[in-house]
Amino acid sequence: MQIKADQQLDCKGLACPMPIVKTKKAMNEVEDGQILEVQATDKGSIADLKAWSESVGHQYLGTIQEDGVLLHYIRKSSHDTGEEKTFEKTITNDEVIDRVSKGGIILDVREEAEYAFGHIEGSKSIPMGELENRLDELNKDQEIYVICRTGTRSDLAARKLSDKGFTKVYNVLPGMASWQGKISRING
Amino acid sequence: MSNKVAIIASNGGLFDAYKVFNIATAAAATEKEVAIFFTFEGLNLIHKQAMQQLPMPEGREHFAEGFKKANVPSIPELVEMAQELGVKFIGCQMTMDVMGLTKEDFIDGIEVGGAVTFLEFAKDASPSLTF
Repeated sequence: MQIKADQQLDCKGLACPMPIVKTKKAMNEVEDGQILEVQATDKGSIADLKAWSESVGHQYLGTIQEDGVLLHYIRKSSHDTGEEKTFEKTITNDEVIDRVSKGGIILDVREEAEYAFGHIEGSKSIPMGELENRLDELNKDQEIYVICRTGTRSDLAARKLSDKGFTKVYNVLPGMASWQGKISRING
Repeated sequence: MSNKVAIIASNGGLFDAYKVFNIATAAAATEKEVAIFFTFEGLNLIHKQAMQQLPMPEGREHFAEGFKKANVPSIPELVEMAQELGVKFIGCQMTMDVMGLTKEDFIDGIEVGGAVTFLEFAKDASPSLTF
């Protein structure tokens, strides 16, 4: 499966510390919240890029291997945790599975790459940036439980859906960052 | 958590140079403030001519092939990268005097200072490393 990234960086054939140095430079060109794909063959880059992301404050999503090349996915830190959430109808992480078993869907509005490396089984992926153009994929008669990483993007998405005439919309809090239940992911 | 990494480079071989500059560039790329104090043989690592052909440890010359195969950047390349990332180079004045060297014998952009210059930087650095 191809994972969507906003930018790609070729570090194939480069040894430590080059993948880190090049990733740092490339990240300057990436916008907050966007995804960088780093292509590398240095096996140490798996541990290094993960540690680097944590140290610098970006979100390391995961790594897949394709034809001997490691593809690392990193989401540039965005300051989306502190903002106020204003959409009124919310439910908690703990409630959502039970609610959705009675009907409705979970809508995951994180980026595709974030979804690929860990999502709730059966949830539907429409990244926040694509929501406006993909409204026809959603059913107004159905309950829609919107989730993201920390509740900020899903708050925005819930408000947008509500503006577009969806009435059975709920924001799921606190979101995937503290999800305790089962997750499905691309590489097992 | 400290945001500074302080490194003392006191040996002048090729292996020493890689240890120093790999750690320094990796730290700088991780948004640390990095300073390297070059003293005694460590000065070779930033000496205009010497840095071009730093010696392998005796009996380890066969590693040259491995360096090539792993596509490891050359020392001058790493030095340039480190400077671009803002790593501060401090040459040891006392050693330079002993060896009869001046600032002009070294690459551009270095500072020259004594032990206290380095200590001042390193007082709140973590980690401090010696190679």
